[in-house]
Amino acid sequence: MNSSIKSKLGGLVTVAALTASLAACSSNPTQATTCTPPQGPNLESALSKARFDLETGCEHEFDAYFQRLLTIAEGDPKQENKASFSDFLLWTNDAGLLSKRQAREIYNRYFGVKYVSLISDYSVCQQTCPDQSAVMRDMNRELGDKEQGLLRISADRLNYTRASNLYQETELVLEATCEACGPVE
Amino acid sequence: MKTAMTRDWKVTQRFLRQLLTGCLLLPVAAHAGSTAPTIKLFPTTVLEEIKHTGNVAAEMETGLQAVIGRLDEQQQLYMESKCEGNEGDPGCERIARQLGKSYLEMLNVMADKLPEMETAVNATSSSLEKRIRMELGQKKTSWTLQELLIGEESGASATASQPSLRGRSGMRLSDRFSQYYKLVARSGGKTNSSLAVIASDIYLDMQETSSLIARTREEISRATLMEQLNQSFGTITPEMQEVVAGVKAILFGEEQDVIPMAIPPAGPADSGYESALQM
Repeated sequence: MNSSIKSKLGGLVTVAALTASLAACSSNPTQATTCTPPQGPNLESALSKARFDLETGCEHEFDAYFQRLLTIAEGDPKQENKASFSDFLLWTNDAGLLSKRQAREIYNRYFGVKYVSLISDYSVCQQTCPDQSAVMRDMNRELGDKEQGLLRISADRLNYTRASNLYQETELVLEATCEACGPVE
Repeated sequence: MKTAMTRDWKVTQRFLRQLLTGCLLLPVAAHAGSTAPTIKLFPTTVLEEIKHTGNVAAEMETGLQAVIGRLDEQQQLYMESKCEGNEGDPGCERIARQLGKSYLEMLNVMADKLPEMETAVNATSSSLEKRIRMELGQKKTSWTLQELLIGEESGASATASQPSLRGRSGMRLSDRFSQYYKLVARSGGKTNSSLAVIASDIYLDMQETSSLIARTREEISRATLMEQLNQSFGTITPEMQEVVAGVKAILFGEEQDVIPMAIPPAGPADSGYESALQM
Protein backbone atom coordinates (compact mmCIF):
# COMPACT_ATOMS: atom_id res chain seq x y z
CA MET A 1 0.00 0.00 0.00
CA ASN A 2 2.66 2.41 1.11
CA SER A 3 4.83 1.52 -1.80
CA SER A 4 1.85 1.99 -4.15
CA ILE A 5 1.13 5.51 -2.78
CA LYS A 6 4.77 6.34 -3.00
CA SER A 7 4.95 5.25 -6.60
CA LYS A 8 1.75 7.25 -7.45
CA LEU A 9 3.10 10.35 -5.71
CA GLY A 10 6.39 9.88 -7.50
CA GLY A 11 4.51 9.73 -10.81
CA LEU A 12 2.60 12.94 -10.00
CA VAL A 13 5.79 14.78 -9.08
CA THR A 14 7.38 13.65 -12.32
CA VAL A 15 4.37 14.80 -14.36
CA ALA A 16 4.28 18.11 -12.52
CA ALA A 17 8.00 18.62 -13.08
CA LEU A 18 7.66 17.77 -16.77
CA THR A 19 4.70 20.13 -17.14
CA ALA A 20 6.60 22.91 -15.40
CA SER A 21 9.67 22.42 -17.51
CA LEU A 22 7.62 22.33 -20.73
CA ALA A 23 5.89 25.55 -19.69
CA ALA A 24 9.25 27.13 -18.98
CA CYS A 25 10.58 25.99 -22.35
CA SER A 26 7.61 27.35 -24.21
CA SER A 27 7.77 30.79 -22.55
CA ASN A 28 10.92 31.97 -24.41
CA PRO A 29 9.73 31.29 -27.95
CA THR A 30 6.43 32.97 -27.12
CA GLN A 31 8.29 36.02 -25.81
CA ALA A 32 10.63 36.07 -28.78
CA THR A 33 7.77 36.07 -31.26
CA THR A 34 5.96 38.89 -29.51
CA CYS A 35 8.66 41.51 -29.28
CA THR A 36 6.33 44.46 -29.06
CA PRO A 37 7.89 47.71 -27.90
CA PRO A 38 6.20 49.13 -24.82
CA GLN A 39 3.06 51.22 -25.06
CA GLY A 40 1.55 53.82 -22.77
CA PRO A 41 2.70 57.14 -21.40
CA ASN A 42 4.66 55.96 -18.36
CA LEU A 43 8.40 55.96 -19.02
CA GLU A 44 9.39 53.93 -15.96
CA SER A 45 6.92 51.13 -16.80
CA ALA A 46 8.08 51.21 -20.39
CA LEU A 47 11.71 50.95 -19.29
CA SER A 48 10.88 47.95 -17.09
CA LYS A 49 9.09 46.16 -19.90
CA ALA A 50 11.91 46.98 -22.31
CA ARG A 51 14.46 45.56 -19.87
CA PHE A 52 12.46 42.37 -19.49
CA ASP A 53 11.88 41.88 -23.21
CA LEU A 54 15.43 42.74 -24.24
CA GLU A 55 16.91 40.15 -21.94
CA THR A 56 14.37 37.47 -22.85
CA GLY A 57 14.91 37.15 -26.55
CA CYS A 58 14.14 40.56 -28.04
CA GLU A 59 17.65 41.98 -28.09
CA HIS A 60 17.59 42.08 -31.90
CA GLU A 61 14.81 44.66 -31.61
CA PHE A 62 16.91 47.03 -29.47
CA ASP A 63 16.67 49.95 -31.90
CA ALA A 64 12.89 49.78 -32.13
CA TYR A 65 12.59 49.55 -28.36
CA PHE A 66 14.93 52.49 -27.83
CA GLN A 67 13.09 54.66 -30.33
CA ARG A 68 9.79 53.84 -28.64
CA LEU A 69 11.23 54.78 -25.25
CA LEU A 70 12.35 58.11 -26.66
CA THR A 71 8.87 58.75 -28.06
CA ILE A 72 7.24 57.88 -24.73
CA ALA A 73 9.65 60.18 -22.88
CA GLU A 74 8.71 63.06 -25.17
CA GLY A 75 5.24 62.90 -23.67
CA ASP A 76 6.58 64.04 -20.31
CA PRO A 77 9.69 66.18 -20.82
CA LYS A 78 11.74 66.70 -17.67
CA GLN A 79 15.34 66.85 -16.55
CA GLU A 80 15.07 63.48 -14.76
CA ASN A 81 14.53 61.66 -18.05
CA LYS A 82 18.21 62.08 -18.80
CA ALA A 83 19.09 59.99 -15.74
CA SER A 84 16.49 57.35 -16.66
CA PHE A 85 18.04 56.87 -20.08
CA SER A 86 21.54 56.88 -18.63
CA ASP A 87 20.57 54.11 -16.20
CA PHE A 88 18.88 52.15 -18.97
CA LEU A 89 21.93 52.36 -21.23
CA LEU A 90 24.24 51.38 -18.38
CA TRP A 91 22.00 48.37 -17.84
CA THR A 92 22.23 47.42 -21.53
CA ASN A 93 25.97 47.31 -21.07
CA ASP A 94 25.70 45.21 -17.90
CA ALA A 95 23.27 42.89 -19.68
CA GLY A 96 25.70 42.42 -22.51
CA LEU A 97 23.43 44.01 -25.12
CA LEU A 98 25.75 46.93 -25.91
CA SER A 99 29.41 47.59 -25.38
CA LYS A 100 30.37 50.45 -23.09
CA ARG A 101 31.43 52.43 -26.12
CA GLN A 102 28.12 51.87 -27.89
CA ALA A 103 26.16 52.84 -24.78
CA ARG A 104 28.26 55.97 -24.35
CA GLU A 105 27.83 56.99 -27.98
CA ILE A 106 24.07 56.51 -27.92
CA TYR A 107 23.72 58.47 -24.69
CA ASN A 108 25.82 61.36 -25.96
CA ARG A 109 24.16 61.41 -29.38
CA TYR A 110 20.87 62.28 -27.67
CA PHE A 111 21.77 63.83 -24.34
CA GLY A 112 25.31 65.20 -24.69
CA VAL A 113 26.45 68.55 -26.07
CA LYS A 114 29.44 67.14 -27.93
CA TYR A 115 29.02 65.40 -31.26
CA VAL A 116 29.88 61.72 -31.48
CA SER A 117 29.92 62.27 -35.24
CA LEU A 118 33.27 63.97 -34.69
CA ILE A 119 34.98 61.03 -33.03
CA SER A 120 38.21 60.43 -34.92
CA ASP A 121 41.74 59.20 -34.45
CA TYR A 122 43.66 61.24 -37.00
CA SER A 123 44.19 64.90 -37.71
CA VAL A 124 41.53 67.17 -39.17
CA CYS A 125 43.55 67.60 -42.37
CA GLN A 126 44.05 63.86 -42.79
CA GLN A 127 40.76 62.39 -41.73
CA THR A 128 38.00 64.98 -41.55
CA CYS A 129 38.65 67.28 -44.50
CA PRO A 130 38.58 64.59 -47.18
CA ASP A 131 35.06 63.79 -46.01
CA GLN A 132 33.99 67.20 -44.80
CA SER A 133 30.51 67.30 -46.30
CA ALA A 134 29.66 63.82 -44.97
CA VAL A 135 30.86 64.84 -41.51
CA MET A 136 28.64 67.92 -41.60
CA ARG A 137 25.67 65.83 -42.73
CA ASP A 138 26.22 63.43 -39.82
CA MET A 139 26.50 66.34 -37.40
CA ASN A 140 23.29 67.78 -38.77
CA ARG A 141 21.47 64.51 -38.16
CA GLU A 142 22.94 64.33 -34.69
CA LEU A 143 21.76 67.88 -33.98
CA GLY A 144 18.26 66.58 -34.75
CA ASP A 145 18.76 63.75 -32.22
CA LYS A 146 19.99 66.26 -29.65
CA GLU A 147 16.90 68.33 -30.25
CA GLN A 148 14.86 65.27 -29.36
CA GLY A 149 17.00 64.22 -26.38
CA LEU A 150 17.94 67.55 -24.86
CA LEU A 151 15.00 69.71 -25.82
CA ARG A 152 11.93 67.52 -26.26
CA ILE A 153 12.77 64.85 -23.66
CA SER A 154 14.94 66.59 -21.05
CA ALA A 155 13.63 70.18 -21.39
CA ASP A 156 17.27 71.26 -21.27
CA ARG A 157 17.23 74.35 -23.48
CA LEU A 158 20.56 75.65 -22.33
CA ASN A 159 22.52 72.59 -23.37
CA TYR A 160 20.60 72.30 -26.62
CA THR A 161 21.60 75.87 -27.41
CA ARG A 162 25.19 75.00 -26.63
CA ALA A 163 25.00 72.05 -28.99
CA SER A 164 23.46 74.21 -31.68
CA ASN A 165 26.13 76.89 -31.29
CA LEU A 166 28.82 74.24 -31.35
CA TYR A 167 27.43 72.99 -34.64
CA GLN A 168 27.65 76.46 -36.20
CA GLU A 169 31.15 77.10 -34.89
CA THR A 170 32.38 73.71 -36.02
CA GLU A 171 30.97 74.31 -39.49
CA LEU A 172 32.80 77.63 -39.77
CA VAL A 173 36.10 76.42 -38.32
CA LEU A 174 36.07 73.24 -40.40
CA GLU A 175 35.44 75.26 -43.54
CA ALA A 176 38.42 77.49 -42.81
CA THR A 177 40.65 74.67 -41.64
CA CYS A 178 39.93 72.47 -44.64
CA GLU A 179 40.54 75.44 -46.94
CA ALA A 180 43.87 75.96 -45.16
CA CYS A 181 44.75 72.26 -45.34
CA GLY A 182 44.50 72.49 -49.11
CA PRO A 183 43.26 69.96 -51.62
CA VAL A 184 43.24 66.30 -50.67
CA GLU A 185 46.08 64.39 -52.30
CA MET B 1 26.01 99.55 -70.94
CA LYS B 2 23.35 99.46 -68.27
CA THR B 3 24.17 95.82 -67.54
CA ALA B 4 27.86 96.55 -67.41
CA MET B 5 27.41 99.41 -64.96
CA THR B 6 25.20 97.29 -62.74
CA ARG B 7 27.79 94.53 -62.72
CA ASP B 8 30.49 97.06 -61.88
CA TRP B 9 28.44 98.22 -59.00
CA LYS B 10 27.87 94.75 -57.65
CA VAL B 11 31.59 94.01 -57.69
CA THR B 12 32.37 97.38 -56.15
CA GLN B 13 29.72 96.89 -53.50
CA ARG B 14 31.02 93.49 -52.47
CA PHE B 15 34.54 94.78 -52.39
CA LEU B 16 33.63 97.73 -50.19
CA ARG B 17 31.99 95.38 -47.74
CA GLN B 18 35.19 93.41 -47.51
CA LEU B 19 37.22 96.58 -47.34
CA LEU B 20 35.43 97.89 -44.32
CA THR B 21 35.70 94.53 -42.61
CA GLY B 22 39.44 94.77 -43.10
CA CYS B 23 39.46 98.21 -41.50
CA LEU B 24 37.75 96.87 -38.48
CA LEU B 25 40.00 93.96 -37.79
CA LEU B 26 42.71 95.98 -36.15
CA PRO B 27 41.31 96.44 -32.63
CA VAL B 28 40.17 92.82 -32.54
CA ALA B 29 43.61 91.61 -33.41
CA ALA B 30 45.26 93.86 -30.88
CA HIS B 31 43.01 92.57 -28.14
CA ALA B 32 43.45 88.97 -29.17
CA GLY B 33 47.18 89.33 -28.91
CA SER B 34 47.06 90.40 -25.29
CA THR B 35 45.48 87.16 -24.06
CA ALA B 36 48.48 84.91 -24.71
CA PRO B 37 46.60 81.98 -26.22
CA THR B 38 47.98 78.48 -25.89
CA ILE B 39 47.13 77.81 -29.51
CA LYS B 40 49.22 80.14 -31.59
CA LEU B 41 46.79 81.44 -34.16
CA PHE B 42 47.75 85.08 -33.81
CA PRO B 43 51.51 85.42 -33.42
CA THR B 44 52.99 88.92 -33.66
CA THR B 45 53.69 88.62 -37.38
CA VAL B 46 50.06 87.85 -38.16
CA LEU B 47 48.89 90.68 -35.92
CA GLU B 48 51.24 93.09 -37.68
CA GLU B 49 49.94 92.00 -41.06
CA ILE B 50 46.36 92.42 -39.96
CA LYS B 51 47.23 95.84 -38.59
CA HIS B 52 48.85 96.86 -41.86
CA THR B 53 45.88 95.58 -43.86
CA GLY B 54 43.57 97.56 -41.60
CA ASN B 55 45.62 100.73 -42.14
CA VAL B 56 45.62 100.34 -45.92
CA ALA B 57 41.88 99.70 -45.89
CA ALA B 58 41.32 102.72 -43.63
CA GLU B 59 43.22 104.97 -46.06
CA MET B 60 41.15 103.72 -48.91
CA GLU B 61 37.95 104.19 -46.96
CA THR B 62 38.90 107.78 -46.12
CA GLY B 63 39.62 108.57 -49.77
CA LEU B 64 36.35 107.07 -50.85
CA GLN B 65 34.31 108.81 -48.21
CA ALA B 66 35.49 112.22 -49.39
CA VAL B 67 34.65 111.58 -53.01
CA ILE B 68 31.36 109.97 -52.13
CA GLY B 69 30.42 113.05 -50.11
CA ARG B 70 31.06 115.14 -53.19
CA LEU B 71 29.06 112.77 -55.37
CA ASP B 72 26.20 113.09 -52.92
CA GLU B 73 26.21 116.87 -53.11
CA GLN B 74 26.42 116.86 -56.90
CA GLN B 75 23.58 114.41 -57.21
CA GLN B 76 21.45 116.51 -54.89
CA LEU B 77 22.18 119.59 -56.97
CA TYR B 78 21.27 117.69 -60.11
CA MET B 79 17.93 116.67 -58.61
CA GLU B 80 17.15 120.08 -57.14
CA SER B 81 17.90 121.70 -60.50
CA LYS B 82 15.24 119.43 -62.02
CA CYS B 83 17.75 118.10 -64.52
CA GLU B 84 16.02 114.77 -64.94
CA GLY B 85 14.35 114.79 -68.33
CA ASN B 86 16.11 118.06 -69.09
CA GLU B 87 19.50 116.72 -70.15
CA GLY B 88 19.90 119.17 -73.02
CA ASP B 89 20.12 122.11 -70.64
CA PRO B 90 23.73 123.44 -70.55
CA GLY B 91 23.66 123.86 -66.75
CA CYS B 92 22.47 120.31 -66.23
CA GLU B 93 25.04 119.02 -68.65
CA ARG B 94 27.75 120.75 -66.61
CA ILE B 95 26.53 119.21 -63.36
CA ALA B 96 26.37 115.79 -65.01
CA ARG B 97 29.95 116.09 -66.22
CA GLN B 98 31.12 117.11 -62.73
CA LEU B 99 29.28 114.14 -61.30
CA GLY B 100 30.93 111.88 -63.85
CA LYS B 101 34.32 113.29 -62.90
CA SER B 102 33.73 112.50 -59.26
CA TYR B 103 32.69 109.00 -60.24
CA LEU B 104 35.91 108.60 -62.18
CA GLU B 105 37.81 109.90 -59.19
CA MET B 106 36.22 107.21 -57.05
CA LEU B 107 37.34 104.59 -59.52
CA ASN B 108 40.83 106.10 -59.55
CA VAL B 109 41.12 106.00 -55.76
CA MET B 110 40.23 102.36 -55.88
CA ALA B 111 42.62 101.65 -58.73
CA ASP B 112 45.39 103.47 -56.88
CA LYS B 113 44.97 101.70 -53.57
CA LEU B 114 43.95 98.26 -54.70
CA PRO B 115 47.42 96.85 -55.49
CA GLU B 116 48.68 97.69 -51.99
CA MET B 117 45.49 96.37 -50.52
CA GLU B 118 45.79 93.17 -52.50
CA THR B 119 49.34 92.59 -51.31
CA ALA B 120 48.38 93.21 -47.69
CA VAL B 121 45.32 90.97 -47.83
CA ASN B 122 47.19 88.16 -49.53
CA ALA B 123 50.03 88.32 -47.00
CA THR B 124 47.61 88.19 -44.08
CA SER B 125 45.61 85.42 -45.66
CA SER B 126 48.72 83.38 -46.30
CA SER B 127 50.01 83.78 -42.73
CA LEU B 128 46.67 82.90 -41.22
CA GLU B 129 46.39 79.93 -43.53
CA LYS B 130 49.67 78.52 -42.23
CA ARG B 131 48.67 79.03 -38.59
CA ILE B 132 45.24 77.48 -39.06
CA ARG B 133 46.65 74.53 -40.98
CA MET B 134 49.24 73.86 -38.30
CA GLU B 135 47.28 74.62 -35.12
CA LEU B 136 43.83 73.37 -36.10
CA GLY B 137 44.36 71.15 -39.11
CA GLN B 138 47.42 69.15 -38.13
CA LYS B 139 47.54 69.31 -34.33
CA LYS B 140 43.86 68.57 -33.76
CA THR B 141 41.51 65.71 -34.51
CA SER B 142 37.91 66.69 -35.16
CA TRP B 143 37.12 65.53 -31.62
CA THR B 144 39.81 67.67 -29.97
CA LEU B 145 38.86 70.57 -32.24
CA GLN B 146 35.32 70.29 -30.91
CA GLU B 147 36.63 70.23 -27.36
CA LEU B 148 38.57 73.38 -28.10
CA LEU B 149 35.46 75.06 -29.46
CA ILE B 150 33.25 74.08 -26.59
CA GLY B 151 35.82 75.46 -24.17
CA GLU B 152 37.23 74.14 -21.01
CA GLU B 153 34.13 74.82 -18.96
CA SER B 154 31.50 72.14 -19.20
CA GLY B 155 29.11 73.78 -16.77
CA ALA B 156 25.81 75.27 -17.83
CA SER B 157 26.99 78.83 -17.32
CA ALA B 158 29.98 78.40 -19.58
CA THR B 159 28.44 79.67 -22.76
CA ALA B 160 25.40 81.49 -21.52
CA SER B 161 27.13 84.86 -21.58
CA GLN B 162 29.20 84.38 -24.71
CA PRO B 163 28.40 86.53 -27.69
CA SER B 164 26.56 84.85 -30.50
CA LEU B 165 28.17 83.64 -33.65
CA ARG B 166 26.67 85.49 -36.51
CA GLY B 167 27.83 83.67 -39.65
CA ARG B 168 30.15 85.06 -42.25
CA SER B 169 28.09 87.29 -44.45
CA GLY B 170 25.03 89.43 -44.84
CA MET B 171 25.55 91.59 -41.78
CA ARG B 172 26.09 95.31 -41.69
CA LEU B 173 29.77 96.06 -41.37
CA SER B 174 29.62 98.09 -38.20
CA ASP B 175 27.62 95.29 -36.54
CA ARG B 176 30.06 92.77 -37.86
CA PHE B 177 32.88 94.62 -36.16
CA SER B 178 30.90 94.90 -33.01
CA GLN B 179 30.35 91.13 -32.97
CA TYR B 180 34.01 90.42 -33.53
CA TYR B 181 34.98 92.77 -30.77
CA LYS B 182 32.49 91.35 -28.29
CA LEU B 183 33.50 87.81 -29.12
CA VAL B 184 37.02 88.56 -27.98
CA ALA B 185 36.36 91.19 -25.35
CA ARG B 186 33.78 89.23 -23.38
CA SER B 187 35.61 85.94 -23.33
CA GLY B 188 38.22 87.22 -20.89
CA GLY B 189 41.01 84.76 -20.28
CA LYS B 190 39.29 81.85 -22.01
CA THR B 191 39.75 82.92 -25.58
CA ASN B 192 41.08 79.83 -27.31
CA SER B 193 37.71 78.73 -28.61
CA SER B 194 36.80 82.27 -29.64
CA LEU B 195 40.16 82.79 -31.28
CA ALA B 196 39.72 79.68 -33.40
CA VAL B 197 36.37 80.99 -34.58
CA ILE B 198 37.69 84.51 -35.19
CA ALA B 199 40.76 83.25 -37.01
CA SER B 200 38.53 81.11 -39.23
CA ASP B 201 36.19 84.00 -39.90
CA ILE B 202 38.99 86.42 -40.76
CA TYR B 203 40.75 83.87 -42.95
CA LEU B 204 37.62 83.09 -44.98
CA ASP B 205 36.88 86.82 -45.30
CA MET B 206 40.43 87.44 -46.51
CA GLN B 207 40.10 84.68 -49.09
CA GLU B 208 36.91 86.22 -50.40
CA THR B 209 38.36 89.73 -50.30
CA SER B 210 41.40 88.63 -52.25
CA SER B 211 39.26 87.19 -55.00
CA LEU B 212 37.05 90.31 -55.05
CA ILE B 213 40.05 92.61 -55.33
CA ALA B 214 41.30 90.67 -58.31
CA ARG B 215 37.89 90.91 -59.98
CA THR B 216 37.51 94.58 -59.10
CA ARG B 217 40.88 95.44 -60.59
CA GLU B 218 39.84 93.76 -63.81
CA GLU B 219 36.60 95.75 -63.89
CA ILE B 220 37.99 99.17 -63.03
CA SER B 221 39.79 99.89 -66.28
CA ARG B 222 36.72 98.94 -68.27
CA ALA B 223 34.40 100.97 -66.02
CA THR B 224 36.75 103.96 -66.33
CA LEU B 225 36.66 103.76 -70.11
CA MET B 226 32.88 103.60 -70.11
CA GLU B 227 32.61 106.64 -67.88
CA GLN B 228 35.06 108.56 -70.04
CA LEU B 229 32.72 107.88 -72.94
CA ASN B 230 29.79 109.13 -70.86
CA GLN B 231 31.73 112.31 -70.11
CA SER B 232 31.88 113.15 -73.80
CA PHE B 233 28.06 113.02 -73.89
CA GLY B 234 27.61 114.84 -70.59
CA THR B 235 24.82 112.61 -69.26
CA ILE B 236 24.11 111.19 -65.84
CA THR B 237 22.87 107.64 -66.03
CA PRO B 238 20.46 105.99 -63.61
CA GLU B 239 23.16 103.36 -63.03
CA MET B 240 25.55 106.05 -61.81
CA GLN B 241 22.93 107.24 -59.36
CA GLU B 242 22.52 103.68 -58.16
CA VAL B 243 26.26 103.34 -57.69
CA VAL B 244 26.44 106.45 -55.58
CA ALA B 245 23.43 105.45 -53.51
CA GLY B 246 24.83 101.97 -53.03
CA VAL B 247 28.27 103.12 -51.96
CA LYS B 248 26.67 105.46 -49.46
CA ALA B 249 24.58 102.63 -48.10
CA ILE B 250 27.68 100.62 -47.41
CA LEU B 251 29.87 103.34 -45.99
CA PHE B 252 27.24 105.00 -43.85
CA GLY B 253 25.47 101.81 -42.86
CA GLU B 254 21.98 102.05 -44.21
CA GLU B 255 19.60 99.13 -43.91
CA GLN B 256 20.79 95.75 -45.10
CA ASP B 257 19.75 92.15 -44.64
CA VAL B 258 19.94 91.03 -41.07
CA ILE B 259 20.96 87.47 -40.31
CA PRO B 260 19.14 86.04 -37.30
CA MET B 261 21.54 85.19 -34.56
CA ALA B 262 21.51 82.12 -32.38
CA ILE B 263 20.86 83.27 -28.86
CA PRO B 264 20.05 81.13 -25.87
CA PRO B 265 16.27 80.92 -25.54
CA ALA B 266 14.73 81.79 -22.23
CA GLY B 267 13.99 78.74 -20.14
CA PRO B 268 14.78 76.75 -17.05
CA ALA B 269 18.39 76.39 -16.06
CA ASP B 270 20.28 73.17 -16.69
CA SER B 271 19.88 70.52 -14.02
CA GLY B 272 23.59 69.88 -13.95
CA TYR B 273 22.96 66.17 -14.24
CA GLU B 274 26.07 64.26 -15.24
CA SER B 275 25.70 60.73 -16.49
CA ALA B 276 28.37 58.12 -15.99
CA LEU B 277 28.22 57.89 -19.79
CA GLN B 278 28.97 61.58 -20.32
CA MET B 279 31.85 62.15 -22.73
